[in-house]
Amino acid sequence: MKTVYLLALVLTLGTLAPAQDSPLSTSTMRQELESVARVGSVMVDGDICQKIVTPLAKEYMFKVDPRDEYLAGDNYDVDDVAFNTTKKTLTRLSHLTSFPSDVNLWMPIDGHPGKIQMVIRNKNEMSQFWRWGDLYQDMIPPMETVLKTGQRVTVMDRPGWISVLAPVYNSLGDIVGLIEAVSRAKMDAHENVK
Amino acid sequence: MRRNHWQTFFLFFLLFPGSCYAAATLEALPEFLRPDPFGGIVSADQGGAQLRSSLIDAHHRVALKGWRGGYVSFQLVVKSPAPAAYSLDVSLTDPGHKIQTDLFREWFHFTRSDKHYYPDALVPVRGPYSSHLPEPDNKIAQQTAQAFWVDVYIPPEAKPGVFSGKAQLRYGASRVAVPIQLTVLDRVIPPEDIVTIDHNSYGSSFLAEQYEKAYNSYSGNWFESDQFFHLIHAYHQIFYEHRGIMHQLGYGHSGKVGPEFAPVLGGSGRTRHIVDWTLFDRHYGPLFDGSAFASSRRGPRPIPFVYLPINPEWPASYEFWGEPGYEAEFVNVLSEMERHFREKGWTHTDFEVFFNHKKRYMGFPWDGDEVRFPKDINYFLEYGRLMRKALPQNSPVHFVMRADVSWDMEQEFKLLKGVVTVWCCGGGILSFYRDAPKTLRDRGDVVWYYGGPPTVKENAAAITEFPLRAWLWGVNGYVHWLTVSPGNDPWFDFDGGGTVLVYSGERFGLTEPIPSIRLKIQRNCLQDIAVLDSFKSQKPVESLRSEAAHRFNNSVLDDWWNPRPALADIPSDQWQGSAIDAAMEHTNKALSHPGVSAWYNVHQYVLQLAGGGK
Repeated sequence: MKTVYLLALVLTLGTLAPAQDSPLSTSTMRQELESVARVGSVMVDGDICQKIVTPLAKEYMFKVDPRDEYLAGDNYDVDDVAFNTTKKTLTRLSHLTSFPSDVNLWMPIDGHPGKIQMVIRNKNEMSQFWRWGDLYQDMIPPMETVLKTGQRVTVMDRPGWISVLAPVYNSLGDIVGLIEAVSRAKMDAHENVK
Repeated sequence: MRRNHWQTFFLFFLLFPGSCYAAATLEALPEFLRPDPFGGIVSADQGGAQLRSSLIDAHHRVALKGWRGGYVSFQLVVKSPAPAAYSLDVSLTDPGHKIQTDLFREWFHFTRSDKHYYPDALVPVRGPYSSHLPEPDNKIAQQTAQAFWVDVYIPPEAKPGVFSGKAQLRYGASRVAVPIQLTVLDRVIPPEDIVTIDHNSYGSSFLAEQYEKAYNSYSGNWFESDQFFHLIHAYHQIFYEHRGIMHQLGYGHSGKVGPEFAPVLGGSGRTRHIVDWTLFDRHYGPLFDGSAFASSRRGPRPIPFVYLPINPEWPASYEFWGEPGYEAEFVNVLSEMERHFREKGWTHTDFEVFFNHKKRYMGFPWDGDEVRFPKDINYFLEYGRLMRKALPQNSPVHFVMRADVSWDMEQEFKLLKGVVTVWCCGGGILSFYRDAPKTLRDRGDVVWYYGGPPTVKENAAAITEFPLRAWLWGVNGYVHWLTVSPGNDPWFDFDGGGTVLVYSGERFGLTEPIPSIRLKIQRNCLQDIAVLDSFKSQKPVESLRSEAAHRFNNSVLDDWWNPRPALADIPSDQWQGSAIDAAMEHTNKALSHPGVSAWYNVHQYVLQLAGGGK
């Protein structure tokens, strides 16, 4: 029993151990990311976010044509003014941490409960949840919690990764999306360089 | 000592009991008939059975004929109905000691999808090569045949004439010899590429994955080691040696740049500048001055093209897009790059500002790769303006903007005239615009088209269609979009190789990549095209093209183009993939699938033109 306990303790400490590339402890990183997420909830404009993905992109997002495997992707389009405005805010939010981080935007998809899409990624190309190349994916429970309750949720499911999810509101007070403030203890300089 | 010999013999007998009675044979095959491990020919190549006799002359010799400055190739197959130890050697007698012979063991890849074996990866071996059947590491039960690829290199300074040699198989006390006669023709293959064949790749992480032992055994940061940079250069070398070039994209769809692809930046806004060139120079210096190719048979030569790390997030921060800070950061850093390259004398390479991102990957709001929505063209215009501002007009350093185009290419050819000068075009859509290659090349632009390598399941000549099409179309080259990705297990559970033309040599104790049969066949085809094209001073190029197309697949030049479809008159963001397919109906119907002997027939035509035909 003692062995099991010690093993569990070692594994837990291993996950929380100071980052190899970052002099900061995981708890400090978590604290900073939570702070970014809190500020981001206030700063990211949900009305603008709702204008990013165009009606054409939404129309095609779930269409499948056996003769045209790229149909949805080929019709994916965004409003570049809304995209750029929001991306600039997300980038500046990421500067609030004392270590490399990204702040990504995720949004649910009208008419498709249980699905969610990454809408904006950033320059470190980090996310604990994005499946590379997917236009949309299944909603994960912590995201659902954020969208339903407005609570911030911290996720550390993948070893070494910390994501803090926080709601994005529009002018009606509706939660229209969420941001993922994310970093990892050990940066991989070559991941996603493709 | 004598006792040891007896022990060895006894052990050998126990391990290979059949070796005492099995009659091993040695067969020579032309390059387009790929053997299987059971003594047959892979089904995709069986249609070319008549080629068997093409390699053998009336005196039962392997009869080779080649121009100087290039290679001739054939295959040898060791067959034994029972397990047997053997050794194989190939030799050619050249009093001038110029001609060189390279021997490769062919690896048989098992493809799960059709449960067949195909030879493709070529493991360099030294003759005499000793092994036994079944080949232990290939692990094929009941294997009765082992194939070898033979490259004979004839340097430009070799003396024309006839040379003799032989391939010799030894098994037990027996010997089987196949005589070889090589005729070296007077002509020298033009060293310059007539069509540029590019082998594209993404990032460097594939190297750590495919050279896992080297990566794991290195104590420091492997991505900064000499071993790592040596490996990158080795990839460039292998493609160059096979008359190709290589591109390695150094950034992701959201702008993350791999450290070895870009100098280190410091500062922000007006203070942004380059603070460290170390990794960049270690990576690219030997490629830009050509010294990476010092030991190549083709001689040292700077790489002709390279991707720069420039993307919407580098060197300027995208958070400043549209603001004075973006312009300041972009212009300052690009100016510094130009100055650095000029000071280093790197003036023989085209430095490509190339945007690979697609908005579907959520990094940026416009498509850099394959613009579909015409509004995105404005971003290219803005980058063109920034480049003009950053670069001196009379710089000897060649910065170019490259665009990979498909749907909207016709509009981009017009609207981005003078901005984009290197065009990489989707082949299907380019086939609608027959006048485009000439129009673009007349104004000094470079035009390539792109696609992917054929899998090993297609016939051996399939890969020759791409260079031929480029030459028939009058474009500058062709891009294989991915050529270094062999799948999870290329050795025993192969995906067919649609994204690989070179393999990691680590499995065989090598620290470098190894070639493939497809790469060799492509190289030999490129040699022929270089010779064929050299006859345009004597014959109209259209007649050369017509005859080559006829010999290849009984086609006429019109068969290689589609009429401009009505589709071309509607905005490209309204095009649908199925309509594009329909617009390519003409070529799909008119171009019969090239048979196994397609390129052999073209080669005979070139030999005939050069006065070396049968």
